[in-house]
Amino acid sequence: MFVYTLSFRWRQCGLLFALIGLSLSLACERKRAPRQEIEFITVTDDLGRKIDIARQPQRIMALAPSATEMLYAVADEQTIIGRTQHCDYPVRVKEKPMVNTYPLDYEKLVLLRPDLVFTVVGITSVEEAAKLQELNIPVYYQQFEKVTDIFRGLEDIGRLLHREKRAKYVTDSLKNELAQLEVKNNTDPLKVLAITWQDPIYVYGQNTLFTDKLRYLGAENAVTATFAQPYPALTREYILKANPDVLLGGTFAEMNKTFFRQYPELKKIKAYQQKRIFAATDNLMARPSPRVIASIRELKQFLQK
Amino acid sequence: MKRIAIFGFMLLGLGLLTYWGLAIGSFKATFTDIINTLVNYNPENPVHFAIWHLRLPRLLLALLVGGALAFSGYLMQAMVNNALADPYILGTASGASLGASMSIGGFISTTWAGLYLPPLFALTGAFVVTLLVILLGYRQGKLIPSQLLLGGIAVSSFLTAMVSLFTFLSGSESALRSILFWSMGDFGRADWAMLPYLAITLLIGLSIFFFLQKELHILYLGAERASTIGVSVTRTRWLMLGVVSVLTGFSVALAGSVGFVGLIIPHVTRGLLGLTHKANLLVCALLGGLFMMSCDILSRLIYPPAGLPIGIITSFFGVPFFVYLLLKKNYNFS
Repeated sequence: MFVYTLSFRWRQCGLLFALIGLSLSLACERKRAPRQEIEFITVTDDLGRKIDIARQPQRIMALAPSATEMLYAVADEQTIIGRTQHCDYPVRVKEKPMVNTYPLDYEKLVLLRPDLVFTVVGITSVEEAAKLQELNIPVYYQQFEKVTDIFRGLEDIGRLLHREKRAKYVTDSLKNELAQLEVKNNTDPLKVLAITWQDPIYVYGQNTLFTDKLRYLGAENAVTATFAQPYPALTREYILKANPDVLLGGTFAEMNKTFFRQYPELKKIKAYQQKRIFAATDNLMARPSPRVIASIRELKQFLQK
Repeated sequence: MKRIAIFGFMLLGLGLLTYWGLAIGSFKATFTDIINTLVNYNPENPVHFAIWHLRLPRLLLALLVGGALAFSGYLMQAMVNNALADPYILGTASGASLGASMSIGGFISTTWAGLYLPPLFALTGAFVVTLLVILLGYRQGKLIPSQLLLGGIAVSSFLTAMVSLFTFLSGSESALRSILFWSMGDFGRADWAMLPYLAITLLIGLSIFFFLQKELHILYLGAERASTIGVSVTRTRWLMLGVVSVLTGFSVALAGSVGFVGLIIPHVTRGLLGLTHKANLLVCALLGGLFMMSCDILSRLIYPPAGLPIGIITSFFGVPFFVYLLLKKNYNFS
């Protein structure tokens, strides 16, 4: 019995050591492989972080739905190797393997072995990026506060992926479309309030892309003060004082049944009185992507009604 | 004389806080605007409209919720004869938070026939959980305070974990912030229609225990001695439990679970007037209301326009004062 137990334990130990050895050798292999075979360059992202990336990235992906849309606009689709659980545009993105970002699935990322990951400031924490860096997955941050930042972002992606011509073509097309939509010298700008949540009332603040989109249309954000948070909570009194001409957040019928039933005092605002309340497409409003022009076009339609 | 001075100070505080609370906001309002709104209201004037429909209900809700929670805390501390008790030991706040977070997090509907449901789910959660904890503390026709306390702690811990789960699974940042406001309290939803529920219940509760305060204070001696003196302990406890459940349930459903008020204000009251003063109940409710009004005004001044979740302010300003009170040599619970 004792002999059996001893030999069984020895076998267990042997198996354990073999597994440890195997995983160590695999880990070393994984760490060494890219450095030996791939040439690296140092680039600076929008956060000012210097990162080493492959000179010719072949396996890329993004950790934000808007960044995925940016990649699809510029990159070779074959090089896009994954998506997040929220990515839904273009529709064919759903064919790519999914990586959960909340909480971030590091193992899946290691399994997919991207040699460059794009993300947007505020979506992926710097701690998560640092941990990915330790796993030899460089993270490139992009930041978008104005519509022109999106054009610059597309050109940056083009440069990093050696797809400058494609990026220029895309940005030139978008700039042309924007020029056609632009409303200049509007002396009586409409005030627009866009709601993201009804209780408490959260809105698109002054320091968001939404404000810049409205500027191209000769309109302005009804939230004139700049708050610490880009999407601040407002009181009903603030909205009464702002008295927006247009309200975005749902159709008039929906908002009348929910928002204005909960806050009947707000029926005094011009937007309600003139029934200029509309449902903007969430993804177009929220995502800083090449579809920004589609978003501006949608806003223009609302402002003209 | 001391009692008159305390009431005088509180009425002065009520006047000042009401003026301050009505004066601050997005629209500039002068003293004349406030007086005109109260005596000569013009609905077409936006300042009058904001004062009457938004600021006054908000202040009154703060006053009522503060009063209800402080009064409930006073009753609970007497009922379980424990200085650490507060109205939330029955799991009421956790039940309400669970109901609200399930709805806000998108796990059950937020609206039905145009009706905004989270407050209704919060009220249901509050009452169901309170009933469950009471059942846990009930044995052979009697309420066992220690069992009630332990049951409340166990159920609350479980429900807090559930709320954390729903918070974690909720889809958007806005939903997360909304759940946070529910868990820490907010008077931003206040309107006139909400106020009667709490006002009537608080008035009834205060009236009942104004006549029963002798029995209430005898409970500090312990259930056995109170019974010997002739107090119907079981009846008094059931009454207390009924009043506390309804008041706390309404408070949490209307303003979220504001912490700390129900714990500290009863101690402050006893510190001011003594353990068994006749005016304790009224002073406790009024002090709770004034404290909550001050916290609401501060939250709006610190983080305009919507204000911080109110529970952050109550803890931030309440805890140092509470510690000071504990360190005072001449204050004892029993």
